Amino acid sequence: MTTWNNLTAMAKIEVVVDGDDVPAVRDLFLDAGATGYTAVSGVSGFGHHGHHQGKLLFNDRASLSMLITVVPMDRSEALIAGIRRLLDDRHGVLFVSETHVSRPDYFA
Amino acid sequence: MTTTTRPSESADVRRSRLVADVARAGSSVAPYWPLTSFVAVNPLGGLQERPFAEATEVARSWFDGRTHLSLDDYRAEHARGAITDADLDAALGRFAPTLVAESPIEIGQARVDVVDLLRWDLLHGPSGEVIRRARQPIADALDEIVAAWCATYVDDAHVPWAMPDRDQGFYRAWRAVAGGDRRLDSLVGDRRRISDLPEDPVEMLDLAFEIRGVDDNDRVAALRTMVLRTPGWASFARWCDDWAPADHPGVRLKMLDLAAVRAAIDHLAPEHVSFDRSAERDLVAALRARTTTAAGAFALTKPSPHELAAIEAALGQLSEGDRVAIWLSAHEWSFRDRLLTRLDAPVTPPDSAARPDAQLVFCIDVRSEGFRRHLESLGDYETLGFAGFFGVPVRWRPLGSAVARARCPVLVSPRHEIAEVALDDDRGYLSTCSASAGLHDAFSAAKGGIASPFALAESAGWFAGPIAAVRTLAPGKSPTTQLGSTSRSRWRRFTSRPRTAPVVDDVAGRDLHTGLSLEERTLFAEAIVTTIGLASFAPIVVLCGHGSHTTNNPHASSLDCGACGGAPGGASARIATAILNDPDVRSGLAERGIEIPDDTWFVAAEHDTTADVVTVFDTDVLPGEAQALVGALQRDLEVAGERNAADRAKRLPGSAGRVRDRGMDWAQVRPEWGLAGNGAFIIGPRSITAQHDLAGRAFLHSYVADRDPEGVALETIMTAPLVVAQWISAQYYFSTVEPDVFGAGDKMLHNPVGGIGVVVGQSGDLAVGLPMQSVMFGEQRAHDPLRLLAVVQAPLDRVEGIVLRNSGLRQLVEGEWIHVVARPTEHDHWSFRRPGGGWEPWQPADPDHAATAALLTPLEIS
Repeated sequence: MTTWNNLTAMAKIEVVVDGDDVPAVRDLFLDAGATGYTAVSGVSGFGHHGHHQGKLLFNDRASLSMLITVVPMDRSEALIAGIRRLLDDRHGVLFVSETHVSRPDYFA
Repeated sequence: MTTTTRPSESADVRRSRLVADVARAGSSVAPYWPLTSFVAVNPLGGLQERPFAEATEVARSWFDGRTHLSLDDYRAEHARGAITDADLDAALGRFAPTLVAESPIEIGQARVDVVDLLRWDLLHGPSGEVIRRARQPIADALDEIVAAWCATYVDDAHVPWAMPDRDQGFYRAWRAVAGGDRRLDSLVGDRRRISDLPEDPVEMLDLAFEIRGVDDNDRVAALRTMVLRTPGWASFARWCDDWAPADHPGVRLKMLDLAAVRAAIDHLAPEHVSFDRSAERDLVAALRARTTTAAGAFALTKPSPHELAAIEAALGQLSEGDRVAIWLSAHEWSFRDRLLTRLDAPVTPPDSAARPDAQLVFCIDVRSEGFRRHLESLGDYETLGFAGFFGVPVRWRPLGSAVARARCPVLVSPRHEIAEVALDDDRGYLSTCSASAGLHDAFSAAKGGIASPFALAESAGWFAGPIAAVRTLAPGKSPTTQLGSTSRSRWRRFTSRPRTAPVVDDVAGRDLHTGLSLEERTLFAEAIVTTIGLASFAPIVVLCGHGSHTTNNPHASSLDCGACGGAPGGASARIATAILNDPDVRSGLAERGIEIPDDTWFVAAEHDTTADVVTVFDTDVLPGEAQALVGALQRDLEVAGERNAADRAKRLPGSAGRVRDRGMDWAQVRPEWGLAGNGAFIIGPRSITAQHDLAGRAFLHSYVADRDPEGVALETIMTAPLVVAQWISAQYYFSTVEPDVFGAGDKMLHNPVGGIGVVVGQSGDLAVGLPMQSVMFGEQRAHDPLRLLAVVQAPLDRVEGIVLRNSGLRQLVEGEWIHVVARPTEHDHWSFRRPGGGWEPWQPADPDHAATAALLTPLEIS
């Protein structure tokens, strides 16, 4: 689906979760056919549960992490469903947006 | 059997939601680390998001295990004075303040205060402990088979041939061969039906839930029930899923596969999944028994229904779980009062202008406390406490090894690798290593086969037999010490290790792909110095890690350093020392305001906690005057080791004179007590603890609040070392209260499985936790099961802020997995943090008892 500046539209999925939940999100990404992802650890901020401390010196698990992946639109429904299910009983936020990529074969 | 009507959703969506459900179910299970790098964990770690009271109630149901000592055990503690009446009354008042204020009950001619009735019930009322649910024998047999297949799947060391198709995952590998498992014949009927099951584990689960009519909302609970039928293997699967390093070489047992195998077996034999529900009926009967016994005790031979109802109503306000929770609280406050009464004593401030002969930084491990105390009494030594990886989270690759292992807390993912290289010719040593490793592998493989042991006995018995005889008849004597002097000399030349050093820099051209940049080294050095709180430096600063050397002990790494990921800490000490002695790093530190005198040398050492021997490393690189100081120090370290060993001998059975040899005895089930007895984590200057014998009950982390105005160091301590200590504390707690469920049971019956863990007996579930012999001596407990008490000397608002902005720590504190007490300075009194927030002044329930009672109960060793 090429729509804009000869770029291909895809779904960008961003998830912010506790460090302990990163493996579960990663497995969902991979099971849904994502070919890669980016993880940013030590994410700080403020939300429903108050302040979240950023990177700690000797604990990579205690802070929030953000995982980002891009998948073809037709794979996004299943992945979104899985992540929403995962977040049913734990902290975390999910952002879904349309993005455009120049090399769609990287993500297919 | 009903079939759920599913909303219209694609197969991919259904699959993804099911994968998420497996992750949710799996998160209820605490991870289990392989024995090669044993890491103490809270066996209820999967429930840690819930408060302790709620988590333990859930755990009793899920795991069919005790989460507290029994009423009889607590009463025995009360009878011997470890818990006083005042402690119990205070605990009752805290637990149920409204009950204490209730109007008296009319019993016969008397008016009885509700609190008196409850106290009597706690002290004398019959136990209503719920009888364990009995499963049908067929269910146990199926569990046994699943556990056996798990062991077969992960084990490539002790089986005659490895399970085929293991790279396909556990479910697919099992499905491929389970049709030939004759054990299933009488349990599931026609086992050839296994080949009709779906090939994909997710599809297997989907099919099972569809046929069993499990609604989407019930799937997580159903999955949890499935995997918790073999909780040990589920814990290992959790580790594989969430904690195993990316380069972990072994096969991975995934929670999804474990659940799918379970679902397949349940699918083939659905009738076995039922439980005896008599427990609920037992609870009602137990309350009636408590009521009639209490009525009798209060002199009512024929109580009226009204009186019985009044007593039952009062007693019924405390469930069985509440009763043991009150006892636990009383037990904890008794310890708290005894410890804080000591720490409340006036403190002699150290002479800040004086420069000690040496500073020694030990691991925070409770075993360091006694050693430090003895060493301090021998000379002008200042000792400090810091996590035993010394703030350098790296992977360590020893000389001659192709494998690098993390040497840091498991909470940290090491990003750097440090290699050990030889300073001398290492060819002879490396070829010896290679040959002996090959010999060891061949010997192990032959020993583990079916027919090969017979041939092994014929071919290698002449060699192995005498070694076995020496180990049996003269434990503590190395086989090489039995050689003649000439042979020994040749042996040493053949096997002696060359001098080595860790390569901490990243100088190009070495082609080791290891090391740290100067900026990284300087950052690490700054973190070490500031987190320890070092403001001045002695001529010698020793960083002393610790490890344990034991033989024939599958749980050996449980005695090593938890801060080093279950490995000895000497390597970490050597790395940190190399960084801190680096002139370029010192220049960088000076630019950051940290001046280390030119005549200060950092020295690495390792304390063998089983032998109480300290090995000092790399002294040959020191200048002459530093070597002289280290020589004097080594003599005092030897004396401190002797004294510490003598203290330890009082609590260990066997000859006191042989206490330092226990690690060499291959029949010894208790080489040392490890961290048994741990109860508190003290964060503050050594001056507040130095004058007290804390009996090895406290982790000691150095901290000086004035040098940390931003609270950065305190936040590091409370979010990492304190959290690791809580895992250790919880593991000792639950291994003590329920050794067969949360501990590894009787060590005498252990059989290793695949280098991962042990099973008790011939087969069965993976045994997690600590062996019974690590926490018990016969019927006596060597460990008091209490939740960890964090004792912090720092401004209260600083402590509070750190707790509130770190969600994991907040869960531990507000969920009462950890208790916190604090005071701003040594001139202030202690306050304890209420679970909901806010601080309250501490007052001992029984001041005289707190001041005189021992911190640690002696063991009766015959």
